Amino acid sequence: MSGLSRAWAVCAKDATQELRRKVAMVAVFFFAATALTLVSFAIGPFGLPAADRPALEAALLWIILFFAAATGLPRAFVAEEEAGTGLALRKTVPAAVVLAGKTLFNFVLFLAMAAVTIPGFLILLDWKVGSPLAVAATMVAGGYGLAVVSTFLSALVARAGQRNVLFVLIAFPLILPLLLTAISATIEATAGGFPLTALRVLVAYDGAATCGAYMLASVAWED
Amino acid sequence: MAAVIGAAFLWPKPASGFIGESSRIVFFHVPCAWTSTLAFLVAAAYSALYLWKGKPWYDDVAAAAVRIGLLFGILTLVTGSLFANVMWGSWWNWDPRESSYLLLVFLYSAYLFLRAAVEDPDRRPRIAAAYALFAVVLMPFLTFVAPRITASLHPQTVINPQGKILMDTPTRAVFFGALAGFSGLFAWLLSIDARSARLRRTRENGRPT
Repeated sequence: MSGLSRAWAVCAKDATQELRRKVAMVAVFFFAATALTLVSFAIGPFGLPAADRPALEAALLWIILFFAAATGLPRAFVAEEEAGTGLALRKTVPAAVVLAGKTLFNFVLFLAMAAVTIPGFLILLDWKVGSPLAVAATMVAGGYGLAVVSTFLSALVARAGQRNVLFVLIAFPLILPLLLTAISATIEATAGGFPLTALRVLVAYDGAATCGAYMLASVAWED
Repeated sequence: MAAVIGAAFLWPKPASGFIGESSRIVFFHVPCAWTSTLAFLVAAAYSALYLWKGKPWYDDVAAAAVRIGLLFGILTLVTGSLFANVMWGSWWNWDPRESSYLLLVFLYSAYLFLRAAVEDPDRRPRIAAAYALFAVVLMPFLTFVAPRITASLHPQTVINPQGKILMDTPTRAVFFGALAGFSGLFAWLLSIDARSARLRRTRENGRPT
């Protein structure tokens, strides 16, 4: 079995487990729905001055996506330790392959969450998007970065105490450059432009995070 | 260091375009920022050495470098805040560069939280080293890229698009003297902190390691 097919098998295993238990899915979607409802109830489609809307809406959207993701994505490795399957996985599959599979699953989970949240955002806040393609590209590049960093940090905190609090503490400063860039790209995309510079930064961040996570996967996960 | 501090107040004239003597903060603020960045790079280098060689001493140095880097990072924020209050009338302005430095302090504070949260003494250095190396890979996005995506009030006398240090000769001499002095101070503090960590570890284990 090649590394790619084993990574795919890890992703499929996580997806099957998740469809069975629905812990991360329910947490992510419920948080996104609650935050979206709260934001739309507080400001609605007319609560923001027109000039401030693009920046505030982009920031609100990414805040919702980040915190919703933070409720589910860190479970990648933590769930293995809680279920007592971590040791078996460590002995049978190389750490980099496990990381790749779990990153893929988290990325799909993020895209699914974005696919539900964004239409809600469009309807409830009357969000006007000038360039849907650019928003989609930002979601893909930003979501992948979020998935890879969250998955790697999940491996780091999997066997630490106070891991849920710890994850947010260590993830926030690392993910913030990605969020700032994604917000900047979303503002530009909302106005109808194509945020080439911001997207390049996002892709560079994704590449750096992937290389770092790949090289350090065995240190973080194996004994 | 004493010569640098004296010269910083007496030799170069205050730079034009700044209120009163506020430009002299460059002799303390930038070297603090430089030293904390240097400390975090040293932490990453020693973390890599620990993963390669497995000697606990390298982990002692990496942890000490982060602690000292945080000290200089906080001093960077304090000196920056003093300058901001004189120049812009507010202690904190959410300027992209000052915000990114605050996040850098959070980033390495998280390193210490992570160390404290891993109870297994054999796993702790490995996890801390992995985090330090992962953080240093993403650090440039925090300190160099993100602050430049939005407009900044921060003066660009050292790092700027022209790639030149915009200072006269006396200012430049004192500035580089301060960089050397702060770097030396860092090396001295690092040596004391790392040796004291080794002594603590030896006492806990009952034998030298």
